[in-house]
This record gives sequence, C-alpha cells and structure tokens, in this order.
Amino acid sequence: MSFLYLGFLLLSLAGMVVLDVRRRLFFAADARRAALVLLVGVLFFLAWDVAGIGLGIFLHSQSRFATGWMVAPQIPVEEVVFLVFLCYLTMNVVRLAEQLLGRRAAVVTPEARREVDAP
Amino acid sequence: MTYAMIIPVFLALALVPATLLVRAPSPAPPGRRAPAVLGLSFAVLAVLTVVFDNLMIAAGFFDYGDGHITELRIGLVPVEDFAYPLAALLLLPALWWGLGERGRLTATVRTLVATSRPVSWVNTAYPFAAAYVMTTGRVDLPLVVGTLFFLFPYNLLMYGINDVFDYESDLLNPRKGGVEGALVDRSEHRMILVGSVLLALPFLAWLFLVGGAAAAWVLVVSLFAVVAYSAKGLRFKEVPFLDSATSATHFVSPAVYGLVLAGADWRLGTVALCAGFFLWSMASQAFGAVQDVQADRDGGLKSIATVLGARPTVWAAAVFYLTAGLLMLLTPWPGPLASLLVLPYLANVAPYLTVTDAGCERANRGWKRFLWLNYVTGFLVTMLLIWSWALAH
Repeated sequence: MSFLYLGFLLLSLAGMVVLDVRRRLFFAADARRAALVLLVGVLFFLAWDVAGIGLGIFLHSQSRFATGWMVAPQIPVEEVVFLVFLCYLTMNVVRLAEQLLGRRAAVVTPEARREVDAP
Repeated sequence: MTYAMIIPVFLALALVPATLLVRAPSPAPPGRRAPAVLGLSFAVLAVLTVVFDNLMIAAGFFDYGDGHITELRIGLVPVEDFAYPLAALLLLPALWWGLGERGRLTATVRTLVATSRPVSWVNTAYPFAAAYVMTTGRVDLPLVVGTLFFLFPYNLLMYGINDVFDYESDLLNPRKGGVEGALVDRSEHRMILVGSVLLALPFLAWLFLVGGAAAAWVLVVSLFAVVAYSAKGLRFKEVPFLDSATSATHFVSPAVYGLVLAGADWRLGTVALCAGFFLWSMASQAFGAVQDVQADRDGGLKSIATVLGARPTVWAAAVFYLTAGLLMLLTPWPGPLASLLVLPYLANVAPYLTVTDAGCERANRGWKRFLWLNYVTGFLVTMLLIWSWALAH
C-alpha cells in the first residue's frame, strides 16, 4: 500500500485549482455551473468504467504504488480522483484555448475594421 | 475487439449536450472558433494522455483484457485510450456552454418530455413490464432497463419522428397542439430527432447485448415500426390498414419483447392474448383516425378512415374489438374475464356507427372517453394479472 499515485493525482488536481483561480477558468468563473459539469463528467466516465469492467475489457491490477482502497469492486479510489482530474483538466484546457483564440480574434478584428474605415 | 463496440455508444452519449443544449443564442465561441478551440484542446490532451497513460500502464494501475482491443499502441498506450479525452471534449465544453444560457436546460427538457407524450408512457412501459414480470416472476436489471426504455426514450423516438415529419399536416390541425400532441417549432426539429436517437442508443445497446437473437429481432421489428410509421419515404400511417397495424405494433411489440426477453413459452393462450391486444390496438387506432377524416383529406393525408370513410371505419373498429374479446376466451383462467373488458370499448364506439364523413369530428368526444377508459381498463387488467399471478404461485 502506498500513497504515491493518490498523492500525485491530488497534487495535479491542486495544480488545476491554482490554474483555474489564477485565470478565472472554471469554478472561479461560475462555481455552480462548473460543479454540475464536473459531476456529470465523473458520473459519465464511471458508467463507462463500469461497462468496461462488466464486459471484462478493463482490468484493474493491484499496484504497489496505490492505496488499495476500493470504492466499488474493481474501482479504486484513485480512479475516481483521476476522473475528477481528467474532467477538470479538460475544462481548464478548453477555457484556456477559448481565451487564447478569443484574444487573437479580438486583436485581429479592430485592425480589420481600421482597414475598412481607411479612406 | 469488444471495446470498439462500446466506444461509439459512449461517444454518442457524450454528444447529447452538444445536440440538445448548444444552439443559438449560446455562449459557445462563434463560428469556426469552437472547432478550433476543441481541436487545440484535443492536441494538448492527446499529448498528456500519451505521457500519463504510458506511466500508468508501466506502473501497472490498469490494463485491458486479452482480445478486447485492437493492439495498436503508442508506446504502451492503446489507441483506445484516446477515447476518454475525446469523449471529455465532446461532453464537457458543450455542457458548459449549454448551461451558460439561462433556462436552456429547462426548456429543452420540457420540449422533449412534451414531445414524448407523458400520457402515453404507461401504454408502452406497462405491457413490457407486465409481460416480463408475469413470465420471470422477479424484478431484475433487464426489467428496469427495459421499462425505462419503453417509458421515455421509446416514446420520444416514436412521437419525435412523428411530430417532425407531420409538421405540415399538424399545423392544419388545431387539435394537435394540446394534450394529444405537442406542436414543436421547426427550429427544434434537428434537436428532437438527434436527441431522441442519442437517448435511445445506450438503452438499445444494452438490451441488444443482454437479449438473445430472438429478442433482438423483436426489438428490430419494434423499432422499424416506430420509424416506418411516419418517416419520410415510408409513411405507413398514410397506407390504409398498414397504419392501424403499425400503430398496434407500437403497443404490442413491447409486450412481445418482454415475453421473448423473459424466455416465455409460446402456448395458445399467450398467442391469443397478443393477437387480442393487437386487434384492440388496431381498433383503437382506426377509431382515432375517424375524427380526423376531414382534416386529413384537407391536408392531403390518407388513413384507414379517409379510404374506408368514417362510418365503415367505426364498424371495422367494432369488429376488431369484438374479435379481440373473443380471443380472450382462449386464454387460461381468469383471462377469459378480460373478454368483458371490450364491452365498454364497444359501447364507446357504438354512438358513431351512424357517423357521417362531414360530422366526423363528433367522434373526438369518443376519443376523449377512450383515453380515460384506458386507465380504468388498465386498472382492471392489473387486477386480473394479480389474480392469475396468485393462481400460478
């Protein structure tokens, strides 16, 4: 039993929270909406996991880096934390991409307008 | 290769918010910027997936069962692993943007529920559940999943397709706006069609998986009837007699599916019961078409009633009801008592045995009586089922 993997996941998750708060991406932008999106995402992927496990496609293996705590047969607590992380990461990346591409568009537009306005 | 069959189901499910919730006005990035945002994000997530999953598989956190995946790998990572970030990108941003528009979720749910005709949910879910439970005698997962499917997604599929393809003729028919049907705006058609298919998909995938070949065929016939009734190119609802038979299939096929899924023996009584139910449904559909004879003819639509005329259709319905009642006599005790249940239906259509085409709309009163008569009959049928259950156990 080891907390290595769980600790690594929680650290990554903390990184996501810091990024979120500093750039006002997800929970920092709209906490209620973010909570709902995260909850739906985690439930969706848990259902996928359950389907995969039920059909014998996914195999959970005992790892010396994991705690061995299980929330359900074949589903370790690390999987749940991983799914929270995956959903959080996805939304942070999308919101960052949105900001990035949005800013580029905002920079391009006034220039384009100036060209039209020019005599 | 099993996993290759699961991935499309979940990817389709992940598309539900994008198809149902994201439409103008929307806080999603405008125009081509949304695909650009998602494409850029996927590139980032794909790189992270390669790095993380190589580590996770190397550390032995998870692996795949033999023979379930394609064995195309990037390092240790099977290509199937990219399905998770892909699904996350289809699901989460669309949900975020969709929920960003105030009232969008409520309005969408309301439209879909109204389209599925909640009054009719029990008409398809009950035959399935009753047939299944009476055969197996237990409550299990197929019962729950099947009942949920025939409660909402099945009806949404049936009435959604119907409403979209009936749009023009429904506009001419003021009766279709209220309790008997939702009249939806053209701008919602795509959402309703795609949404109803996507919502049905996970249920169907599961039902096809757990049921045998026979059950799968019944489900295919049932779904074909759902589509063929009103979809463009087939329009069975405009082919006299086929319209009544297809409509009857909508209500009888859930019961037949329940019986087959539960592995029932096909004795004479079972066949007579299904045939009786089928004739009762045909009679009801035919009688329901009588009130629309004028509206359908004006709208250029054909039905059993526009071809036969109002009065002969009522007579045909009466004969179907009577035959259904006689078939009940072939079922094991206390089934023959169900013969008595067709009497109220005969009484209900009797005043219209003299109806004229011009006065066809007067049959609407009979149709309204029919709708609540079903609840009384449903209650009595339940009593009979409980009785026969008690005799059998």
